[in-house]
Amino acid sequence: MTENEIKIADRIKELLSESLGIDADVLTYEIPLFGDEIGLDSIDSMEIIACIDDEYGVSMNGVGKEPFYNVESLAKYVAANIG
Amino acid sequence: MTENKNRCVVTGIGMLNAIGNNVDECWDSAVSAVSGIKEVKSVNSEGCYANLAAEVENSTLDDAKNASDMDRVSKLCVKAATEALSDSGIDMAREDSTRVGVIMGSCVGGVVSIENYYRNGESASDVTKMPISAIANMVAQECGAGGVVTNVANACAAGTISIAYACDLIRAGVGDVFVAGGADAFASVPYAGFISLHALDAQPCSPFNRCSGITLGEGSGAVIVESYEHAVARNAKIYCEVLGSGISSDAHHITAPRPDGEGQMNAIRRALANSGLEPKDIGYINAHGTGTAKNDEAEFLSLHTIFDETNDNLSVSSTKSMVGHCLGAAGAIEAVYAIKALTENKIPPTVGYKDEDMDRLHERAGKIDFRANVAIDKELTHVMNNSFAFGGNNASIIFSKEAGDVKIPEAKDFEPVYITGLGIVSPIGNGIENYIEKNKSGYRPTEASVHSTVDRTDYDACRLKMAFYRKLDTFSQLQAVSGMEALADAKLEINDQNATDVGIVVGTADGPISTVCDFQKDLIEKGNSAGSAFKFPNTVYNAAGGYLSICSGIKGYNVTVTNGFQSGISSIAYAYNVIGQGQEKIVLATGTDENSEIITELYGKLGCVEGNTDGAYANGNGFVLGDGSTTLVLESKSSADARGAECYAKVSGYGMTHACVKFGTVSGSEQALCDAVSIALKSAGLGIEDVDAVVGFGNGMEAFTRLEIGAYKNAFGEEKLKTLPVHTVKEVMGECRAASSAMSAAHAALMLSGKLDAEQNAYMYDGEGMKACSVNTEKYRHILVTSCAAGGSCCAVVIDKI
Repeated sequence: MTENEIKIADRIKELLSESLGIDADVLTYEIPLFGDEIGLDSIDSMEIIACIDDEYGVSMNGVGKEPFYNVESLAKYVAANIG
Repeated sequence: MTENKNRCVVTGIGMLNAIGNNVDECWDSAVSAVSGIKEVKSVNSEGCYANLAAEVENSTLDDAKNASDMDRVSKLCVKAATEALSDSGIDMAREDSTRVGVIMGSCVGGVVSIENYYRNGESASDVTKMPISAIANMVAQECGAGGVVTNVANACAAGTISIAYACDLIRAGVGDVFVAGGADAFASVPYAGFISLHALDAQPCSPFNRCSGITLGEGSGAVIVESYEHAVARNAKIYCEVLGSGISSDAHHITAPRPDGEGQMNAIRRALANSGLEPKDIGYINAHGTGTAKNDEAEFLSLHTIFDETNDNLSVSSTKSMVGHCLGAAGAIEAVYAIKALTENKIPPTVGYKDEDMDRLHERAGKIDFRANVAIDKELTHVMNNSFAFGGNNASIIFSKEAGDVKIPEAKDFEPVYITGLGIVSPIGNGIENYIEKNKSGYRPTEASVHSTVDRTDYDACRLKMAFYRKLDTFSQLQAVSGMEALADAKLEINDQNATDVGIVVGTADGPISTVCDFQKDLIEKGNSAGSAFKFPNTVYNAAGGYLSICSGIKGYNVTVTNGFQSGISSIAYAYNVIGQGQEKIVLATGTDENSEIITELYGKLGCVEGNTDGAYANGNGFVLGDGSTTLVLESKSSADARGAECYAKVSGYGMTHACVKFGTVSGSEQALCDAVSIALKSAGLGIEDVDAVVGFGNGMEAFTRLEIGAYKNAFGEEKLKTLPVHTVKEVMGECRAASSAMSAAHAALMLSGKLDAEQNAYMYDGEGMKACSVNTEKYRHILVTSCAAGGSCCAVVIDKI
């Protein structure tokens, strides 16, 4: 990740910890968000979309699954689409 | 045939919803296929994809005598209750008030007042209107009930479970007459919540048809249920019999029903079996029929699976298509519709089908008459009402023109009920061993507001994974940990063989009010289109019981009762009844309450949060506010014996009463508490001379101290009281509301089992006040556990040595 992407990824980690109750020490850049350990579901993805929109003004409505894979892919999507 | 002493009958009905202000109007509109679904008026729908609701238009809601003390939900409830009482012709002046109770269901309680609190100056007067607890208290005040008064908070199944519980209490001999039902008001919290879940239909909901979401409604329903013998003795008009009910949990998902319909079918089959009926006997079902794809598909499956084989004459409809989904009122409103259908021999329709929908309906309906668009005359004998709620709670109840074949043991024939496991989450730490250590150490809290903590160590010990517990709010997390701890302590593994033999009764004073307030504050800041789909499922009071069912696999009875601090022991009384009446072998009875910044602020508004160092029976202005969760595993003797369970103690009886004092206060409840003690002792076959000790509810606040002393003087006499040790757990853990009242029972069980040191701190009355002392508890055999809610509801439970 670039320096900017890392900055965004760290903020996304904070947001996901706060809004989705994920233990901060478990939430690495790489861990799959929809895997067994964190276990996000469709309701959680709506929450992520709202958080990213609030924080960065980036709409992820209707975006495919790939950017939601982990914190790194979310950060890269935000970095690429931020206004 | 059901023996007369086991017969419960409906002698009065009341109802209010978007298509009528009383039963006659609501019924006439329904059978004329009138829909009350319109554009929303009372909440802001800006930016929301759906803007329909079925709101009540009634200009007389403020006519109730205590209207200024009530949230809209209580006003709605009192309206239906008053109609039902008047319809029943009961003259309260001629009734023994301790035999008259109120059980009311609600999902969201006083959310209108929560919004008003945050929008209009955070006034203390809104605080006592917020909890669901207030609703039954307001109805009790209206009618002068002095018996069992409580609220069932099982979301969309609450109204149905309330009626079922009232009948169970009548059959247990606890009361003669109950006002039972439910109420909910339309408000921002449920509206924005269902918007966030994308569960609202943008068009009027279309159950069993388009199935693209719900439309919210509001209103209330009330029935007067009465023992047959009592109704006949006063020459009452009898609408119908209430036969058996069935209550189950899904152990599946916090908002979605099981796709295989297992939990729904368990509830329906239990209701049939408890009524002595077969599937072929049911002529009409008022279905849950919300209009969501998941509910309707599961319900189609459940009904076809149970009824298709033997029933060629079944009609089904969803009145939600006209009155919307009234949440905690739904079961009660639909019960009244089912009763009217039965007595009028007429089936109200599901509205909203277009010509082009009919082929699809016929295909999905099969041989069942899913009554579309127009009412039909039909001779009916037995009708059923089904409700399936958030949290995976299912309830089914049967009304009939015949007496059925209800076989429920009388209270005197109840099997003994043992306490076989404990789970403790408290501000002084978690687990039984920790509690025993802290009890030895003489620990006292040093702050005015104290908190329980659950962390990774607790979750790991309970084998709870982050993917599960991260979804829970603090209230549900406290409950999940204490519940799983209690199961482990009881050495009870839930598996396919025993899952339906185990139930849950959660008691809570304030439920998830903190989460509701948090959700509401977000709405005020960001608008109703921006509610959190993550938080919303946790705003229902029964989320904690639902999550416990999911993580433990428990599929039996599942109810959440809420009526102030005493909820933690009234849950034990409830569970004792469920086991005694043979509904379950094992029930987890709990007391759970959360203390957050929001809760401390709300209790602070009432002026009762205060560090107190003068002891439990001081004359302070407040108490140390705490939180936590206590779970007791209650188990029938035969079940405990069969699996060689270690037993702490035995639950031998209970008494529940109510004083019609102002909600939020206790002063004036002395006689009610005294009566609760007397009834509890009588039900346990004991006299006052048999009581070795009391575990009371002293929290340092003067009003509670005066209440306890006054009540015990009346109950035991001053001489006995001077030698009667009174223990309290609140001096150590703080006023943890339902958690500390359940802990009082756990403390009694720990003393009786010899797990605590024999020498224990206690208080003794010296003619002037309660004085601290140390007592030897080795010879204790019978302990009375007491509690009282701010609002006058009192409970006493007898715990005996085995």
